[in-house]
Amino acid sequence: MSQVMIELANVTKIYGQGEKRVVALDNVSLKINKGEIFGIIGLSGAGKSTLIRCINKLEVPQSGTITIAGQEITKLKGKELRETRRKIGMIFQHFNLLSSRTVYGNIAFPLEIAGAKRSELKERVLSLIDLVGLSDKISAYPAELSGGQKQRVGIARALANNPEVLLCDEATSALDPETTKSILGLLQDINQRFNLTIVLITHQMNVIKEICDTVAVIEDGRIVEEGPVVELFARPRTPTARRFMKSVLPTEIPAEIKERALRMDDRKRGGKTVRISFIGDVAGEPVISSLIRKFQVDVNIIHANLDYIKNTPFGSLIIDLMGESSKIEAAMEFLKDRGLKLEVLNGVEPTA
Amino acid sequence: MWNLLLKALWETLYMVGASLALSALFGVPLGIVLVITEPRHIRPAPLVHKLLSTIINIGRSLPFIILLVAIIPFTRWVVGTSIGTTGAIVPLTVSAIPFTARVVETALLEIDRGVIEAAQAMGATTGQIITKVMIPEAVPGLILGLTMVAVNLIGYSAMAGAVGGGGLGDLSIRYGYQRFRGDIMLLTVVILVAIVQGLQSCGSWLAARLNRR
Repeated sequence: MSQVMIELANVTKIYGQGEKRVVALDNVSLKINKGEIFGIIGLSGAGKSTLIRCINKLEVPQSGTITIAGQEITKLKGKELRETRRKIGMIFQHFNLLSSRTVYGNIAFPLEIAGAKRSELKERVLSLIDLVGLSDKISAYPAELSGGQKQRVGIARALANNPEVLLCDEATSALDPETTKSILGLLQDINQRFNLTIVLITHQMNVIKEICDTVAVIEDGRIVEEGPVVELFARPRTPTARRFMKSVLPTEIPAEIKERALRMDDRKRGGKTVRISFIGDVAGEPVISSLIRKFQVDVNIIHANLDYIKNTPFGSLIIDLMGESSKIEAAMEFLKDRGLKLEVLNGVEPTA
Repeated sequence: MWNLLLKALWETLYMVGASLALSALFGVPLGIVLVITEPRHIRPAPLVHKLLSTIINIGRSLPFIILLVAIIPFTRWVVGTSIGTTGAIVPLTVSAIPFTARVVETALLEIDRGVIEAAQAMGATTGQIITKVMIPEAVPGLILGLTMVAVNLIGYSAMAGAVGGGGLGDLSIRYGYQRFRGDIMLLTVVILVAIVQGLQSCGSWLAARLNRR
């Protein structure tokens, strides 16, 4: 059983009073395991930013408790709070680097605060600069860096005091897709290397898809769906989750194919157009060739896509099955038995 | 005449330099307190903030010439005399402190709040945030602000003549205006313009050089 690193229990945060009262977090409970990358996704204003800021007490919730590595941070104050915060790294959408300090100085900053010795400090900073691949930018000021480089400095700075948890507040939202990929790669790398627990909030589903193990969908201050990322992609339960999913996976059936399936119906040629959705290991099996051999049906592949959710393959295939109807039925049974999700597209009105 | 001018120049530089240093000594901490006690800043204290702000506003609304006379007992208590160049430094400083505080406040408020928040998230103490984040980040703004205070002090120092403080402004009025010495009046004005120009250029240059943003 994995160990719980962060636990939120009935956390409620309300801003303002009277007419301006906004419930940012409404009785939120979450468990985040040690060593996992936990994503929280929501539209702007859903409360995700408040949620992550509550974890290191930058925001103080009105009620509920937040426990990190067995320590109840919601109870901590002053020195104890500062010491606990040193063990929680945080990176930001707008990087928040000190513009008056170089790359070296920025990474040294958290160590200075924690009172590190000068000799240790230098060694640690240099190894962190190396870790994030900025050895050639050591004396550059933030203004001279690109967005991706700034975030790398942010990550090095956040890791300086060997935190157990890294909080990422929309860390890739200000970056272009290419840079986002490289930053996500770095995050995944440090997650594996140091068994670091990462909590990230985002409105970009591709971030969740790329690196998260577990995801929580937040809407109007409530967690509406939570579970393994693969699970969410396979069986989204809420409309919000479905909408986010569609933004990265083309689950819509192209209109041409719908029309084609309909025409096939009209002609009464027999045969069916079927969509097969798969996730995980089945993608590696020679399903189609077994289908042809075992059931003597003709298979015409008309549309396919394959993608990865973290390291799990995920995709769909649209095929025409042609032959005797009894054989088609048997072939479909065979596919269902393999754990594939089947959808017959004939008779579906083209909507696009 | 050159001796007179040299003496007056020295008096001006002495008055302005001393009162600039002293008003920075008191005004900078006041400006810092003013900022950090703001609501949602690192040490919110609405009452302290409001009180301080009101006192500063009162200080800034008093005309200098009135302040100069009004605080004579205080001046005498601090430096033992209420006249002469040294006697003028006290009212100059007192009048510049609230202005300095506002100037420092403005410079410090320009810092990106995200940077301060990042320091908080790293577990920095209030003192560390002030000395390692707020002040270094605001250096260009602080230099420009203090340049402004210095230029203002040069203007006010002209009124120091009222308590026998001497200086270029005093020389210009007593010799240039009251004794109809046009040449002295012109020269003092030229020197004052040169000082202000030089000061402002230095301040702007230094601020630009230290600006890493």
